[in-house]
Amino acid sequence: MQQQGEGEGANKNNNNNKAGSVSRSLSLQNTHVKLLAFDLLSLTQSPSAFTTTTSFCRRGIPLSRVETLGTVTLRDLKPDRFLRFALDDGTACVPCILWLNNRHSRSVARRRRHELASRFVPLVTLGAVARVRGRLARYKGTVQVVVSDVVLERDPNAEILHRLDCIFLARNCYNLLPK
Amino acid sequence: MTSLEIKSGALVSLQDLRPSSPFFKQGASVRIIGKLQEYSTETGLAVIIDGDDILKVNTEHLRDLTFEVGSVYQFIGELLIQPDNEGVLQARVGRNVDGIDLNLYHQSLLLLRQFQASHLNNPATM
Repeated sequence: MQQQGEGEGANKNNNNNKAGSVSRSLSLQNTHVKLLAFDLLSLTQSPSAFTTTTSFCRRGIPLSRVETLGTVTLRDLKPDRFLRFALDDGTACVPCILWLNNRHSRSVARRRRHELASRFVPLVTLGAVARVRGRLARYKGTVQVVVSDVVLERDPNAEILHRLDCIFLARNCYNLLPK
Repeated sequence: MTSLEIKSGALVSLQDLRPSSPFFKQGASVRIIGKLQEYSTETGLAVIIDGDDILKVNTEHLRDLTFEVGSVYQFIGELLIQPDNEGVLQARVGRNVDGIDLNLYHQSLLLLRQFQASHLNNPATM
């Protein structure tokens, strides 16, 4: 009984450890991870086992959403299709895409998303500093951000503070997570 | 839909653009900050300073930017080194950054370089 008890205890511990490691490894999965562009573009890509999408890892930790901030240095608008732009934060350029093709969707949620997306279009102008949140995707072998939110930054120190935030979070949080 | 191909403007200070610096290269994409000392509406040529360092910036491609002497500006563009070894930045993007904390800006550049170096030295853990 004691052995069984120990066994049960060990199993529980194993299960707890497994659950702990799974929860740790998924700890960044639903967070908008703040990354500098060079860090974001160097994420490891691997095809997902269950879907056709690509999964992304940083130091072995999977992540799916990011937050980035930079100066808009390229802008390509195809009305009713997409707005493609690049955000330069001084370390690299992050390719971003804002889909605008859901105007006539049957889904109410998609039409709402389209309304929101079309409000972001005039904010994204060349030279503007924008904070972007979105989902990671792969396009022609490189990472791109599928934009869900855009905020224009007017504070001249916003880029500096974002840079410091990213360095602080990488050193004191993201780099310390166990794989 | 073609892929985005645009160079990132490396964060540098005007000090880094002296002829002896590794950043002083023909066509180098850089991002610089400085106070506007002179501006010619005829030529679109701006002169910015940071301490003792001066740089000429060609702003002919920047349509929506107004220039005020004494204000601080940030430019991203490519460095054109002329035959007399003087660098002129061909700006493609610019903005007024009055109110920026230049001390914090320079400190953040140092921190960023350390951070990037530690990443490059540790690629296996990426």
